[in-house]
Amino acid sequence: MTTVDKLRQVALEIRRLIIEFACRSKCAHVGSSLSCVEILTALYFKEMNLTKTKSCREPDHFILSKGHAELALYATLVKKRIMSKKMLEGFMQQDGTLPAHLDRFTGRGIEVSSGSLGHGFNIALGWAWGNKLRKKGGRFFVLIGDGESQEGSIWEGAMFASRLGIDNLTVILDNNNLQGYGRANELCFFEPIDQKWKAFGWQVHRVDGHNFSQINSALASPNRNSPKIIIAKTVKGKGVSFMEDQMKWHYFIVTPELKEKALKELSLYSYAHKNYK
Amino acid sequence: MRTRIINKLIQRAQKDPRVFLVTGDAGYGVLDEYQRRFPHRFLNLGVAEQNMMSFSAGLALAGYKVFLYNIIPFLLYRAYEQLRDDICYQRLAVTLIGIGSGFTYAPQGMTHYSLEDISLALTIPNLVILSPSDPYEAESCMEFAFRSNKPVYIRIAKSAEPLIHTRPVADVRLSLVVKKGRDVAVLFHGSIASEVMDACQDLEYEPTLISMPMLRPVNFLALKRQLRGIHTIITVEEHFVQGGLGSILEEWIIRKNLPFQLKKLGVKNEFVHRINNTAGMRQAYGICQRHIREAIIKAFLKKDV
Repeated sequence: MTTVDKLRQVALEIRRLIIEFACRSKCAHVGSSLSCVEILTALYFKEMNLTKTKSCREPDHFILSKGHAELALYATLVKKRIMSKKMLEGFMQQDGTLPAHLDRFTGRGIEVSSGSLGHGFNIALGWAWGNKLRKKGGRFFVLIGDGESQEGSIWEGAMFASRLGIDNLTVILDNNNLQGYGRANELCFFEPIDQKWKAFGWQVHRVDGHNFSQINSALASPNRNSPKIIIAKTVKGKGVSFMEDQMKWHYFIVTPELKEKALKELSLYSYAHKNYK
Repeated sequence: MRTRIINKLIQRAQKDPRVFLVTGDAGYGVLDEYQRRFPHRFLNLGVAEQNMMSFSAGLALAGYKVFLYNIIPFLLYRAYEQLRDDICYQRLAVTLIGIGSGFTYAPQGMTHYSLEDISLALTIPNLVILSPSDPYEAESCMEFAFRSNKPVYIRIAKSAEPLIHTRPVADVRLSLVVKKGRDVAVLFHGSIASEVMDACQDLEYEPTLISMPMLRPVNFLALKRQLRGIHTIITVEEHFVQGGLGSILEEWIIRKNLPFQLKKLGVKNEFVHRINNTAGMRQAYGICQRHIREAIIKAFLKKDV
């Protein structure tokens, strides 16, 4: 198995966890979680250094700024064995363990509480800059969404990050072009989004957000005295045919029947990853 | 107060390499000395308050002891949600230094007044609220902030507030008796203290004067002791009459069923369109020394009848 094959297998298992626990918890935003699975997999299972070592006192940090994709993060943390599956079983249950939007005091691996959009990104900027000043090392990875990119705070931060030269930071935009109640590029003058970031002084990469080799090489490319953003073209609800690119899967709940249907599709993929790009 | 606060910060920054000062493009001529001495622990994050607040939370996560300096409306109102979610919810010990309490900036206009900041700050769990009355209290507030592991909001006017204490304040967590009197107590916070002191000059009655630099948490036990023998409390504040110190005491009196009469002096809840300087605004809104004096006399007479 090549590295990419392994990553594909992990992503598939994370998707299954998402479907299983989305059904159990009756949570929304399933489509939002499914669209960023490859991004999280590439980060946690390849790019990020998660443990302190002698040579590296500070591990890398991941901040989920689009906090409504919490289930993708929880599932990834479980798969990575940072969080126990038992924790995930209490997700959104009465007197349970994990809330729908991130609370950093609830579980291991949740670095910043988020949920309201346009917050995590700016916290990450300050944290990354602070670590750089204190020469602490460690890199920062932040995931933001399309809807989130309409927040003024994102552009406030973007303007300062490049001025300060925060080069220990990589932002990934989960560009699925479907938000709560419309498509980003129809609601506002969203594109050309890459040129906007470029104009703000960022180093910009555009990748297919479901293609591991593209994601990996973009993540690995060095920052050159500037912050970096990877605009990852993704499909909302990716991996489950009846959820793909459907706005309703920002809100719909996975019923037991739909769960079976979705898991069946996902198990087929494992035998035919060629279809599964 | 502002100068004392910045001087205190400079002193501290010299000893503590974690001290970091962030401003939102305010403080021209005031922060220069700090910036000159600690250029790597100073950041002007421009006119971008949301980013300023969250960015500061990030600096705190990196291990810095962050002090955020800005004019109150742009600090507390503009970035309220960032303060709630990114600093207080995440339990980060960031200190907000807000300048321009009440009508300090009059006649700059309503956008620059801060008459509801305490109400807003009270809605956020975890946030310690300080409103010093004089430079000694301001210094003590900074001492508190240095040691605090909670987020702190310090509300100050600007400059040239007279001293009301004769020596540095030992414990800013307590209500502070400035003058011991009898029957009536005047409780106040912030720069309006000077009006209260003036109101009691050459007055035939002797009310107890208590400064309340810490508005949350209030040490009610100590306060109750200080109010022994008092029948009427007058609160004076340069803040909307609802939602500030008066309301805090009102709640306490009702909750504990205490035998105090309460008279609240504060600003009527409305958008301010009149054009006056600070003194003129205090007169127009019934919180100047004349009004305070009248309220005190009335309180004494009422009991005598």
